[in-house]
Amino acid sequence: MEQLINPILDTLLAAIFSPLAYLEDLISAYLPGQQIAALAAFALYVLVILGGGTAAVMSRNLVRAMLGLVLTFLGVAGMYMLLASPFLAFMQLLIYVGAVCVLIFFAIMLTKNTAEGEEARLPSPVVGLYGLLAAVVPLGVLAPLVIIHADKLPQVTYGATDTRLLGEGLITFDVVPFELISIILLVAMAGAVFLAWRRRPEAGNDQ
Amino acid sequence: MDLSLLSFVQIIVAVLLIIGLMVGNAVVMVYVERKVAGFIQRRPGPYEVGPIGTVQPICDSMKLLGKQLFVPANIDWILFFLAPVLAFFPVLLLFLPIPFGPYLTGLGVGDGILLILAFAGFGVLSNILAGWSSNNKYGLLGAARAVSQSVAYEIPMIMALLAVVFMSGSLNLSEIVAQQGSWPWQWNIVVQPLAFFIYLVSLVGETNRAPFDLPEAESELTAGFHTEYSGMGFALFFLSEYANMLLVSFVCATFFLGGYKGPFLDGFWWTFAKAYAVMFFIVWIRWTFPRVRFDQLLNINWKWLLPLSIINLWLTAIIMKIIS
Repeated sequence: MEQLINPILDTLLAAIFSPLAYLEDLISAYLPGQQIAALAAFALYVLVILGGGTAAVMSRNLVRAMLGLVLTFLGVAGMYMLLASPFLAFMQLLIYVGAVCVLIFFAIMLTKNTAEGEEARLPSPVVGLYGLLAAVVPLGVLAPLVIIHADKLPQVTYGATDTRLLGEGLITFDVVPFELISIILLVAMAGAVFLAWRRRPEAGNDQ
Repeated sequence: MDLSLLSFVQIIVAVLLIIGLMVGNAVVMVYVERKVAGFIQRRPGPYEVGPIGTVQPICDSMKLLGKQLFVPANIDWILFFLAPVLAFFPVLLLFLPIPFGPYLTGLGVGDGILLILAFAGFGVLSNILAGWSSNNKYGLLGAARAVSQSVAYEIPMIMALLAVVFMSGSLNLSEIVAQQGSWPWQWNIVVQPLAFFIYLVSLVGETNRAPFDLPEAESELTAGFHTEYSGMGFALFFLSEYANMLLVSFVCATFFLGGYKGPFLDGFWWTFAKAYAVMFFIVWIRWTFPRVRFDQLLNINWKWLLPLSIINLWLTAIIMKIIS
């Protein structure tokens, strides 16, 4: 019985994590054209990311905007699953959904905020234009570069990345960037403490 | 992956089994918890309905199903109804990578423990959404507490698990169990007692159970983040709380208590026996210790558990370097 159940559950992750990747396998069993299904999964995740991003930007309510952000992170995690790197996908969820969004919520709660969100206004057209520029310029710089040098992109081998290899890479080949990132985080943390630091008033007149 | 219609049916069966486990667990645990509470506090507990009160949880859930859904005014509708669903469904996923038996492994996910930790974050997300959307000051206070508590207790919890992962060199739960022996002195608890202790304390904090149940402290916040929920909304929160308890107990059994391995005959019965022993421990301390104050709760974490877990991790690394 256990031999029977094992493969059942084996297929379950695929079904839950990337339904379309699962569908893709299902289709490829009967039809050629796996690539079409992969593209469909890609399109779904792009839609999720864009939808979440739009919700985050357009929402008049900070908590709903945060939920849009969560949706975007989920879409990005799906992208990582599609790229066969579950480690990154889980880390995306663990750090961004489990910690960053939760802290954003904490920051929201420190502001005065009501469920109706009537205090929020949409930005003026000029600000919107600047935002659009900020979004399009990096795309305009990076996308042509990627397209021109498409043949020089590293060849990705099929199959999930071994987490052990990832860890070894972080402490050998990529140790300098890895440590630099920790320094940036340390500086950010020290800066946050410095900004938030305020000497407590003398005892007796603290009320 | 080769998939067919059969495997599709199998998937549905597996999900149904997990739902069955979650619901059955909640029904049994409600009864056990009330009986244990009664025993500890020298009162009979439920005894009216059925023989020694065994039908009580069924009656309770029937009552819960039949209750009117009360919706407070001026709420955020979408989030209000999304929150209980978000509390319940991710927990389903979390049971997949757990090796219940030698072959009865949910999924052979390479990074099983990461999957559990990653999706556990949705629990606190649902708590804060529930507290915020219900337009209630107690709900909001409960949500604020849930945030700072679970962010704090997640760190020593992960660090304690990481110490075991250091030793076994794998994030796969099945492999961690496979590296432990059948007898109690071959379990990870013997070589990682400090990590076990840290995990045990922080799992109580992580599941919002007394003495660390500040997000829903009845005497201060009525019911905290789920104050405004009634009927099925409340039932879903309730169900997911018990499912979360079961989950952390299973992870504890897997990481520290040898999982499905046990004296004489390995099998899923050992996993369940160990997990329910941990569950009993959680229930036991709930009815034994008074609730801590919120600053005490955070001080325990940041000033004791976190440094201890860092020291433990550091010692583990040094000792492993010396031995190998």
